[in-house]
Amino acid sequence: MFNYKVDEIRSILKAIVQANTTRDVLAWLEEKRALNTSFVLLPRKTGKAIINITAHQSKQIDTIIPGFSVDGWSIDRLGRAYLLLNLDASDQKEYFRVIEALFLAAEIGELVALYSTLPLLAYPEIWVKRCSEGIRSNIGSVLEAIMYHNPYPAQNLDQSAWNQLVLKAFFTDKDINKIIGIDTRANKELAYIISDYIHERWAAKREVNPNLWRLVGKFIDEKLFEDIKRLFEEGNLVDRKAGALAISQSNYQPAIALLTKYPELVTAIENKNLNWDSLSR
Amino acid sequence: MCCTHSFEEVKSEPLSPPVSLDGIKGMKFFDPHVHMTSRTTDDYQAMADAGVVALIEPAFWLGQPRTGIDTFRDYYSSLIGWERFRSSQFGIKHYCTIGLNSREANNEALAEQVMEILPLFIYKEGVVGIGEIGFDDQTPAEEKYYRLQLELAKESGLPVQIHTPHRDKKGGTKRSMDIAIEHGLDPYKVIVDHNNEETVKEVLDRGFWAAFTIYPFTKMGNERMVDIAKQYGSERIMVNSAADWGISDPLAVPKTAALMKIRGISAADIELITYRNAITAFAQSGQIDEADFASAGSAIDQSQKFEGNTILRGGQQPRIDKSSIIIS
Repeated sequence: MFNYKVDEIRSILKAIVQANTTRDVLAWLEEKRALNTSFVLLPRKTGKAIINITAHQSKQIDTIIPGFSVDGWSIDRLGRAYLLLNLDASDQKEYFRVIEALFLAAEIGELVALYSTLPLLAYPEIWVKRCSEGIRSNIGSVLEAIMYHNPYPAQNLDQSAWNQLVLKAFFTDKDINKIIGIDTRANKELAYIISDYIHERWAAKREVNPNLWRLVGKFIDEKLFEDIKRLFEEGNLVDRKAGALAISQSNYQPAIALLTKYPELVTAIENKNLNWDSLSR
Repeated sequence: MCCTHSFEEVKSEPLSPPVSLDGIKGMKFFDPHVHMTSRTTDDYQAMADAGVVALIEPAFWLGQPRTGIDTFRDYYSSLIGWERFRSSQFGIKHYCTIGLNSREANNEALAEQVMEILPLFIYKEGVVGIGEIGFDDQTPAEEKYYRLQLELAKESGLPVQIHTPHRDKKGGTKRSMDIAIEHGLDPYKVIVDHNNEETVKEVLDRGFWAAFTIYPFTKMGNERMVDIAKQYGSERIMVNSAADWGISDPLAVPKTAALMKIRGISAADIELITYRNAITAFAQSGQIDEADFASAGSAIDQSQKFEGNTILRGGQQPRIDKSSIIIS
């Protein structure tokens, strides 16, 4: 039903809720009533302050569900996740129906809570369509709820839905470093789509996010190498740094040979002074 | 629901000399009635530039009658979802009121279904009232759903935003108030909208809030509004634009403030009429936190600010140079 230790997560979330609300509010959360009502009314009880969470709790969560984090969440978002965790999941059909209905009538704050709770839900395989639908949203905070510190997409989406998520993240200027699985799910199809996208940007004389090359590096071949060469020939320093980082992920010999002409970039990568994270800052 | 229902009815009148908005620089405005769904991003940008920091979008008639419950559901969802987000992109805090408008109350089969889904929406965050409801043609069906929604307001403790009719306005306004009282609503929780010189006195005398829609040709002009402010003061009075799909002006609130300033209304009264009173009235819903939009000049929707994300902060939409013919 659950693909992680749900009891442990439940007790950690409960402890965080406890530390961030009054006893009355916790009691209210645990009262039996229609989920729809509790879910909608919840912020009126909890307020919307950003939660305090200990480093230990944060680490525990990441150990049980790698990549998942509630750091920086507001108390209503966490409270809603906690509500969903307490929902009876024994009847799969009913479980799906109840949660799907919440999605259908959700306002923005509710959507954020719902999508960021996907990795906690039972029957992960039944939320794939819902997750793909969320990626079609144009509401920034909803996209971030799916993209940032959320291991659900990388674990559950098929390749085309995953590629859609990544492209959408670039199109909407998201922080790529917060996307769980961004490197592990890199794939050749995506590298080629990104190459096309970069060509469009070049044609329009628009800026190209250097992090895009991160998804190209592993797949450099004869065609993609042409793009990399252009970075070194026509690009600025950031472009060359991105090109160097991309080559450092590649086994394509002509690319590796090109990089040897830029010893200072090679050294910077070897010393870890230059990496994708530092590049985007 | 406002106001010009036929474009042919509009007579062009000589334009009055332009009023500069310079006098109200730095002031904040709250437009408690504006249908942004029908407006463009240019309007949002102009409103933000003119100092509008928050607004209320009442559920209304979209011009095209709805034929099914799903289009109502999606419309309500858009008021608490997509439109709210769109507004946040311009640094304007977006609230809404939810209700079945009087016009569509006449489709009884559909109205029944709408009444069933209303409770799903009225408790959502940022829903600050039941509205806009009331009379259009003053039919029995309109009265029935008006009464049912007053009961809903009572049960939920939400304020009510009343649309008063175009035809037989005085009678319709009086009747709307009578019925609200009959249902035991506190007049202090009821905002009677689209007032004019003929209706305002009774509305105020009976303890209701009096809202004025500054809307060209068919409703109040803002010069008349200045005279009303001079006569009645600022207690329980507010102005709105009710800008929608008709010829209307989303800058009606700041423009009226500018005119009031030029015509000698005190700064304190202007603030009450164009900002504070609307907040006081609708904050009775418990859904308005002034801190969400009051930080001068940089209203940022806090819910859009996660973990240092910068891209979607309100008021930081890229600007287009409108005077250039180059589009890049």
